[in-house]
Amino acid sequence: MSIFHDIYNGIQDICYIWREEMKQVFHDEGVIIFFFVVPLVYPLLYSWIYNNETVHEIPVVVVDDNHSSMSRKFIRMCDASPDVKIAFYAQDMDEAKSLVSRQLVKAVYYFPSDFDAKLNRMEQATVGVYCDMSLMLAYKAAFQTAQLVSMQMGAEMKAKLGGYYTNREAAIATKPLDVADVPIFNPQGGYGSFVLPAVLVLILQQTLVLGIGLSAGTTREKSRYGWLIPVSRHYHGLLRIVWGKALCYFMIYAVMGVWLTMAVPRIFHFPQLADGWTLLTLLLPYTLASIFFGMAVSCMVTYRENVMLLMVFVSLPLLFLSGVSWPLSNIPAFWQGAAWMFPSTFAIRAYVRLNSMGASISDVMTEYNMLWVHTIFYFFVACTVYYVQMSRARRGTLDRLAQKKQSADDVEDDSIDTK
Amino acid sequence: MMRELLIIRRNHSYWFCMVLFPLFTIVFFTSLMDDGLPHEMPIGVVDLDNTSTSRSMTRRLDAFQMSKVVAHYPSVSEARRAIQRNEIYGFLYIPKGTTEKLTSARQPKISYYYSYTTLASGALLMKDLKTISTLGSAAVGQATLLAKGATDAQVQTLLQPIRIDLHQIANPWTNYNVYLTTTFVPGMIMLFILLISAYSLGNEIKFGTSKQWMRRAQNRMVIALIGKFLPQFLIYLAVVMFYEWYVFFHLGFPHLGSAWTLLLIAVMQVLASQGFGIFVFGLMPSLRMSMSVCSLWGVLSFSMVGAAFPVMGMDAPLQALSWLFPLRHYYMLYQIIVFNGYPLLEAWFHFVALGAFMLLPWFVISKLKNAMLNYVYIP
Repeated sequence: MSIFHDIYNGIQDICYIWREEMKQVFHDEGVIIFFFVVPLVYPLLYSWIYNNETVHEIPVVVVDDNHSSMSRKFIRMCDASPDVKIAFYAQDMDEAKSLVSRQLVKAVYYFPSDFDAKLNRMEQATVGVYCDMSLMLAYKAAFQTAQLVSMQMGAEMKAKLGGYYTNREAAIATKPLDVADVPIFNPQGGYGSFVLPAVLVLILQQTLVLGIGLSAGTTREKSRYGWLIPVSRHYHGLLRIVWGKALCYFMIYAVMGVWLTMAVPRIFHFPQLADGWTLLTLLLPYTLASIFFGMAVSCMVTYRENVMLLMVFVSLPLLFLSGVSWPLSNIPAFWQGAAWMFPSTFAIRAYVRLNSMGASISDVMTEYNMLWVHTIFYFFVACTVYYVQMSRARRGTLDRLAQKKQSADDVEDDSIDTK
Repeated sequence: MMRELLIIRRNHSYWFCMVLFPLFTIVFFTSLMDDGLPHEMPIGVVDLDNTSTSRSMTRRLDAFQMSKVVAHYPSVSEARRAIQRNEIYGFLYIPKGTTEKLTSARQPKISYYYSYTTLASGALLMKDLKTISTLGSAAVGQATLLAKGATDAQVQTLLQPIRIDLHQIANPWTNYNVYLTTTFVPGMIMLFILLISAYSLGNEIKFGTSKQWMRRAQNRMVIALIGKFLPQFLIYLAVVMFYEWYVFFHLGFPHLGSAWTLLLIAVMQVLASQGFGIFVFGLMPSLRMSMSVCSLWGVLSFSMVGAAFPVMGMDAPLQALSWLFPLRHYYMLYQIIVFNGYPLLEAWFHFVALGAFMLLPWFVISKLKNAMLNYVYIP
């Protein structure tokens, strides 16, 4: 027996376990749902939900106590803006309030009766803006539109009153310092472009862990004594089992990962600045880390459904901890530490920066290295828990054998007694 | 009912999912966004002008509550790389000759770059930029006008003829915590209720105890269901009431509705999700399928609720689809009668919809009974 023979044997066992695991995946409808249906369908659904990116034409009600050409001009300019639509004219604030309470409008613009008088007397006039604060985006649209219109009308009035000789002089006098604001990496400020990349990366980890957990649960329930590792000639090496199973999951998720991180953003025109090779470089450690993480978690569940209770629960907190919707610099240190336990945290950060912000892999080196650290760490954890399972199964088998012998003896004793 | 209490005590999953995880969620979200608004977000400055004017502009920007100038960069591309390395969220670019042009009235142009990959920080930084640019312009205009002999009131009028008088009803601090916690925590609790409802029914079949359970209720499904879900209902209600006390009374989140409306929506929330969970199990009396559907439905409802991205911005089919999510109706009900304090009549549709979710199990009762008496668990 040479060492080559051992290696050959090992590879054969790995391939055997790989095939067995593959078969099991395709025979279990729960696993099929999480390995195939969810990663394929969910991204499409989410992209569809957020595909409109921004809200336009927020309905607003106007209470015009002034009825002057000035107030009407203000209203016209608001109505002409992309974000606001003047949906109703109300007689008084009570009527406007009832429209808000019936969810027909999101904000009230109120013009006091002295609006144009004040303007013409060269006093500061006010426009009341009352916002329903239950929707951030609606509030932002209603308020910003009113502010922009007021600045625009103010500038026009200033230019008229100043008595300037040339247009250029008027332009400089009303705006001595010109400012360009340049939103970068997501220029339209779209909601989908900002939240979707993170969701896509998170889906990969969550479905993988759920699928692995479910399939481990099935193995346990099918086995007579609740063991994770079947008693078989091929299942007698720790590394063979771990690698065999991991290969099966990796094979499936190589496809799913490409679909999630490259195809979906392209279909729905989300920002895509990284090229394929960079993303593949990132996907390799992330998928491996998630697989070993999933295998480590799967050993801790006795019943297949419990993994679902656990993983569904952590999805939303994980999304927040990745720093996508709440700025990373403002997350309490304790939670930042907790986030370090999960591969998704680093993968989301790295993916967003690579793909949405066009960074190079050297800019995300910290995250990238952390993913490899996770891979190695969770590989050892997975090996350890599988080792524990294996020795338990072996001890269990021996115990059973001994017990059977014992009970057989007992039965014999009993039969002797009865005789 | 006593039997159900025993089951709950024996199986640790119940204890975790019904009490510990919801409590964890409450603590997580409220502590994560404790600030309400992000403060002191790191930004950079590319100051090629380097005069007292440009430095005072930097200082003024630094003094804002949201922004904190953490670094100066020698060029725009250096600053861009810093954004990509996630060191800053945005930067102010002051080109060479800004002060010179400003004093000689040639309208210089400064730029402000900010990353919109995080929507909240992008929007808030943009607000600071708007203010600083207005202030910068105003300072120059003010000096000119004062030199010409205008009074302070005249200066103010000339600089800003129309002022916007903003009233942020019910959330004057623009507190993000108020938005996210009040939607996501009830959403998580509802997700657990959905899962546990299906889980507890499925376990009866899985462990072959369903016949015994039915015998206790003399084979009457309604009694069996009430007996099974009443203890759960009481536990959930306690958890939800704790959440409401903690958030609205202890942390002082805005609520214009009375304590009765809070109790009402708590009861509606728990019953509607239990009803939906039982209904899903009745449709697919298999533990794994019903739990998968419940979890996928529950996770999807965080998007369909329309608290972050409004439902009115979605495509029409999705707007109709959002009616099928209990969380959506809960959110509308909360938003109308608790957050804004309008009468219940204005939210009648969502009230009725939640009521309909409660009654859903009615449709599947016979199927459920059949499943309990005849099905055998297949792993």
